Amino acid sequence: MAESDMRLEHSGHEPDSQSDWVTGLHPMDVLLRGERLPHIWCQGCGLGTALTTFIGALQWLEKNQNWDLDKVSVVSGIGCTGRIAGYIRLDSFHTTHGRAIPFATGLKLVNSELKVVVISGDGDIAGIGGNHFIHAARRNLDITVICVNNFNYGMTGGQSGPTTPHGARTVTAQYGNFEHPFNLPYLAAAGGASFVARWTVLHARRLEWTLREAMMHSGFSFVEIIAPCSTSYARWNLEGRGLDPQKLGRRGLEVMKHYQQVGKIGHDTHPKDAAIKVNEKGEINAIVEGVFLNEPKPEFRAAIKHKTQIAKERWSAAKKVLDARLKLPGRNDVVERTEVQLGGFGGQGIMSAGRIIGQAATLYDKIEACFTQSYGPEARGGAAGSQVVVAGEPIHHPHLIAPTSAIIMSQEAYVKYVPNLTSNGTLLIDDGLVTLPEDHRQDLKTYGIPATQIAEELGNARAANSAMLGFWAAIVGAVSQAAMRQSLADSVPPKTLEVNLKAFDVGFDKGVEVLK
Amino acid sequence: MKYWRQPLDRDRIQVPCGIIHIIEERCKGCGFCVEFCPRGVFVISKRTNPKGYHPPEITDSSQCADCGLCALLCPDFAIYVESSQMPAKDRDVTDE
Repeated sequence: MAESDMRLEHSGHEPDSQSDWVTGLHPMDVLLRGERLPHIWCQGCGLGTALTTFIGALQWLEKNQNWDLDKVSVVSGIGCTGRIAGYIRLDSFHTTHGRAIPFATGLKLVNSELKVVVISGDGDIAGIGGNHFIHAARRNLDITVICVNNFNYGMTGGQSGPTTPHGARTVTAQYGNFEHPFNLPYLAAAGGASFVARWTVLHARRLEWTLREAMMHSGFSFVEIIAPCSTSYARWNLEGRGLDPQKLGRRGLEVMKHYQQVGKIGHDTHPKDAAIKVNEKGEINAIVEGVFLNEPKPEFRAAIKHKTQIAKERWSAAKKVLDARLKLPGRNDVVERTEVQLGGFGGQGIMSAGRIIGQAATLYDKIEACFTQSYGPEARGGAAGSQVVVAGEPIHHPHLIAPTSAIIMSQEAYVKYVPNLTSNGTLLIDDGLVTLPEDHRQDLKTYGIPATQIAEELGNARAANSAMLGFWAAIVGAVSQAAMRQSLADSVPPKTLEVNLKAFDVGFDKGVEVLK
Repeated sequence: MKYWRQPLDRDRIQVPCGIIHIIEERCKGCGFCVEFCPRGVFVISKRTNPKGYHPPEITDSSQCADCGLCALLCPDFAIYVESSQMPAKDRDVTDE
């Protein structure tokens, strides 16, 4: 045996000779995994009928719509209904509890050719997977969700679930369920599904027609199938008992007869009015059935495609601008690790200034830079700080270790950041906004320019950060002047470009002056 | 089971006939086919299959109108219907 075959065997994979076992006794056996039959469903359970109608719909689509059944994939969650993925002889996926729809979403997005059908129970889709259900409906992704609703958690012994009618008895609600159930078609329609239908398994022919329609529908289609749970739910409720004690052995049949009496076909009923009604004893006394909603809407993948196209166009336009930028040779001299702390209040351009330094270093000087920021929840006026590390070698720690220079543009930032500076560090302040206290650190080289005033005189107070950047570039010199100018030109809006460059030059000149 | 009136197109419509196949060892005796067959073709048999359930039995196969409801409702893939070339036996009509 080849090594790969042995590995497959140990992983529980069945050799093809076993998994392809078709019994051939029944026309539907071609779509059933013969080695797994008979199925686990109880006598009188509606799930077998639901599977029969589903296979009937698939065979019709194969015959009349030329569907390739190799391109149909069935995804199930956990529960009695979840077993369908194991019985159907298609590419199928038995997933974790409640996560059938996320798996199906991934399947559909990665391989759009597939027709993806989710078949799972009410506990799986509306209970643990309820959130996935409404969000898939909201996106209108092209999958079909078939929810077989038997009003309780059947596999675990018949506990109350999200669809158990108010007042109905279950093993965990012996005096009647005190919760109110979901109206699943209404939930799906409110979520944004574009096809919503409901049938009981008794109306098998119409159910089959609807399943065909739902699978052909482009967009999120939801079909609720009401099925008897002959062992758990029917045991405790009136509809399963019947009047004749002789028939107690066939509860599933009694429930089906009950559906025959209470089922009312009402196509195009507003899903709000499609709630399953119960009488005071908790016995179901009205089930509205039919196709409630069939409104084509833009499908999710089409919307993604549309936006991707727009993004591509924008990017090609942006790339032209980027390619047209000034090409600088980059720096060849050794650049020590330089750490800059920028501080001020929101709106001064503290973040932009940090980014401009980083871009100048990486894009134009072709050295390394790292930029982090910290700010309050306010967009304007709150305390703001950003940190930039510039170095000639790769940066292994992105945060400041020992800040060697600081650009401080508010009194608050002075109090917060100046104590952290290394001794003999360079402190640059906006004279107009920061007043040095009496106990100012004497070990620092402190320089100041009235940046805001300079910018105001030039015509735009918001260019103050440009003046500070020019000042910093001249004094600290970790990034070249040409790189800083080009990075600044990339970052500011075209209208204010002139003012910003002027402010930068004024700041730079002042820096050169101060150093003399 | 009788018609309560003479269908107007009775002489033109030929009711198709089906041949019912029951895979007895798959049956779980739920009784859906017996209850919902519109022509009452099935009864529950006295004998049991290997699982101990009473499978359905066909009383008069010529009554079958090939509607396929039994095959669609059967949860255990135990019934299927093939079309027969023969017409179904007509049912009694009250006014004849």
